[in-house]
Amino acid sequence: MSYCVNCGVELDPTARACPLCHTPAVNPNQPVDTALPPPFPSRREEVQPVSKKELALLLSAMMGSVAVCCGLLNLFFLHSSRPWSLYVIGAAAMLWIWLVPPLVLRRMPLWIRLGLDACAVGVYVYLISIDLRGLDWYLGLALPIVLTGGAIVMALGLVLSSGRSILTSVTLIIGAVGLFLMGIEFFVDRWLTETYQPGWSLVVAAVCVALMVPLIVVRRRPALRDEVRRRFHL
Amino acid sequence: MAKPQRKKKAWYKLDNAAMMYSAIQRENYSAIYRFSAVMTELVDPEALQRAIDKTMPRFPTFRVRIKRGVFWYYFEPNDAPGPFVKEDMKNPCQPVRFWEDNGWLVRFFYYGRRISLEVFHALADGAGALTLLRTLLAVYLRERGWAIPNTGGVLDITQPPPAEEGEDAYFRYAKSRVRRGMGERKAYQNTGTPEPFYTLNVTMGLLPLDRLRAAAKGYGASVTEYLSAVLIASILARQRREGRRRELPVALAVPINLRPHFPSRTLRNFILTVRPSIDPELGEYTFSEIVSQVHHHMRLHITRQEMQAVITRNVMLQKNKFLQLAPAPLKNLSMALSYRLVGCRPYSTTYTNPGAFPVPPEMAPHIQRMEVILGQSYTPRANCASISYGNTMEITFAGTVKETDVERDFFRHLVREGIPVKVISNREE
Repeated sequence: MSYCVNCGVELDPTARACPLCHTPAVNPNQPVDTALPPPFPSRREEVQPVSKKELALLLSAMMGSVAVCCGLLNLFFLHSSRPWSLYVIGAAAMLWIWLVPPLVLRRMPLWIRLGLDACAVGVYVYLISIDLRGLDWYLGLALPIVLTGGAIVMALGLVLSSGRSILTSVTLIIGAVGLFLMGIEFFVDRWLTETYQPGWSLVVAAVCVALMVPLIVVRRRPALRDEVRRRFHL
Repeated sequence: MAKPQRKKKAWYKLDNAAMMYSAIQRENYSAIYRFSAVMTELVDPEALQRAIDKTMPRFPTFRVRIKRGVFWYYFEPNDAPGPFVKEDMKNPCQPVRFWEDNGWLVRFFYYGRRISLEVFHALADGAGALTLLRTLLAVYLRERGWAIPNTGGVLDITQPPPAEEGEDAYFRYAKSRVRRGMGERKAYQNTGTPEPFYTLNVTMGLLPLDRLRAAAKGYGASVTEYLSAVLIASILARQRREGRRRELPVALAVPINLRPHFPSRTLRNFILTVRPSIDPELGEYTFSEIVSQVHHHMRLHITRQEMQAVITRNVMLQKNKFLQLAPAPLKNLSMALSYRLVGCRPYSTTYTNPGAFPVPPEMAPHIQRMEVILGQSYTPRANCASISYGNTMEITFAGTVKETDVERDFFRHLVREGIPVKVISNREE
């Protein structure tokens, strides 16, 4: 029988190393017995991931029926002069795009998913603008804001999905919020006065930068990073 | 012609512990535990299947499937074919999916000379599952041509199962005027690097019981108290190595079988946990002080009166009208949250010791040793369990954590105390 020189425990004749400290078992008098069966099976049982198709079907049926019923009610019975059902149909369509494709298409790249989500928001706001006869505000104000927001979320999603530290993630999220708010002021100014005079968004951006700079410094200096990790560990 | 009457399925409510285990069951948490018997001869899977088919009708509380009602889960008899014995695998105690495997909540495996039984904790505690395994082993040995009597805890499979075996014993004893429990301090979490999905690292130590008992006696403690103290000392050392500014208490969840304190023949759950702990902020503890602390804590708190107060509190929660009226999914969410706060946060790990596995003398020569494995914990950490048979004590560390430092310190400590340990593991080398 072989013993671990580190731990002093007896090892199984089939063990090549100590399971506790991974020290190789070297015993010239008794080499590792490869003929004996190991104490535990080597066959790993793989578990199939749960099928989410049923849930996707259920959600599709729920949203589809709500949309169709409201559409029919709107067309034939209730206030048929005004397309109020577009609010419900649009919301159902948006929720469907948010929830169902991720359930069915597991391997869909993140950027496509986020892009679709942003498009769904754009389409929903478009349906609202049809009811309010507001195609001009939609094109001039809502659509650029939605697209900017979508682009920022997409970029953020791509950067964060590759596994960043908490500090980097928080820094990037603060930066993204600042950028988005500056974008909003830009589009609002363009829409209202056709000029761009940055005001309130600069204050927000300054606050964001003031928060980001210390975070970047902490992230860069190992001593500070360790101190933060020690004090804020969960 | 008269229409054949559709037989009504007899359903029954989950007991207090089962409610928690079924509500918190997730894809990456497994309230499954495993008992194995390593026989002296290779296992015959066909004889084992015959033994399972004969034994299971005697244990109606294991022949059930779990169903979700509007407000609570419930059990109903499972008439599906099975359960079928399967070849064993490397990653045991996989989380249960209520709708898969024909709804079976017990599983049987064989590998070489090992027969394993896995049970979802909502069905039964260790004492109940060991009764099933003992009877199954007796029937299996009879199938192999040995004469095994129905003595020494082996149940007679020709007799109808008495109703007391399916009793919810918590309910009967929830009669205290005082309710105790809740509100324990957060303990050191003892977590490590998680392994990939569905990997359970198992490390077993085999040691002579007489030497272990002598070592425990040297400190004036029982084997459970002594091993709990060794485990606490190993986790304390791990926390010290992490170099935390403020160290948290190290506390164990040690399940206690309530049957010796509150007479009951139930095969369902009837356990409570005690929480021996050491707070390193109070100062350095020598090992003998840790043993003494654990010993006195256990003796002080494992009393009929105190445990009855905790049972009453648990059952009263279940009787709470507000909680009763909440729909099952909402209840599951709130239970999962409360488990995290009350069932997980105040403990560093679990240590369970069902004790000796007695069998009739006719069975004894056919069994070499017993093994126990606890399933995947809520967080990546190793749980500890032990069981003894004859003069062999088997201690298992099982978890989804990569590091081996706690079990390494634990077994090294035993070796230093003069107890020889043999270690086997399913880890990749």
